[in-house]
Amino acid sequence: MKKQLFIIPSLLFLSILMIFLYILLIDRDPSHIPSTLLNKKVPNFETESLLKDKKFISSNEFGNQITLVNFFATWCKPCRTEHVYINRFSNKKKIKVIGINYKDSSKKAIQWLKEMGNPYYDVAIDKNGRIGIDWGVYGIPETFIVNSKGIIKHRHVGPITEKIYSKISLIIDKSE
Amino acid sequence: MKSYYISKKIFIIIVIILVGQFSTKNFQAVEPDEILKNSDQELRARNISKNIRCMVCQNQSIDESNAPLARDLRILIRDKIKEGSSDEKIYKFLTERYGDFILLKPPFKLSTLVLWSFPFIFFIMGIFIVFLHNKKSKKIVKNT
Repeated sequence: MKKQLFIIPSLLFLSILMIFLYILLIDRDPSHIPSTLLNKKVPNFETESLLKDKKFISSNEFGNQITLVNFFATWCKPCRTEHVYINRFSNKKKIKVIGINYKDSSKKAIQWLKEMGNPYYDVAIDKNGRIGIDWGVYGIPETFIVNSKGIIKHRHVGPITEKIYSKISLIIDKSE
Repeated sequence: MKSYYISKKIFIIIVIILVGQFSTKNFQAVEPDEILKNSDQELRARNISKNIRCMVCQNQSIDESNAPLARDLRILIRDKIKEGSSDEKIYKFLTERYGDFILLKPPFKLSTLVLWSFPFIFFIMGIFIVFLHNKKSKKIVKNT
């Protein structure tokens, strides 16, 4: 009986080791942090628009149709690489693409969009990063999918690649 | 005699390294323009910042990190303090946006029960095993 008791800690240790091994082996990014905003309403904010003369008021922009929200800046190199995919998203009829220009120079941003093509229906200016904080942004580029009820359904941190493009497209297709 | 001097030197080197380690612990990233005029408010901001994880570096608090987001969060905390927000309100504001991960010390919740209770469970198990082992050893000594 006592000998059996001594086996229990070893077994427990082995099972903990197995759990750690499993976490190590599965395909995951340890720096990825799940968003607490998923399945919640988009944060309310009001700011200047980069493309239009009127103010960007979030309550007017979200909740009408599926919206892809992309945080970008001209100083962010991965934003440049993912821009092709944002352009491709803008060709989808089902969605509206909104950009949030994060801690950037408006002049440079306008020039950038002229050079690379403008996929955005509108671009909100986040001068000091406070809008980013409201969205829980910690490393741009970041992309969110907001459904037609104004609820955040998906978040992707990092640049969009071919694989991510397909994944997000599927989410958009399934969204209402 | 020679070995005595070598070990003395090694001891001095270790002391220097340890002192260096502890002095870097006090490193802060707060820039002069961020500091609040009211020292009580500044102290509150510093204490909150020490408990908030830098989401970019992840193993540093925002008080020690030079990342731009850490600076933004330090300024935000100071703005909230100036507006009259309580510490709890500030922590709530941050966890609502970044989750519990932003807190360097995870709160005691159902989801973190295992994390908090495992050290105690293992400690009790350890005592139990040592107790059993001692009992067994005593028996063997008695029999011999």
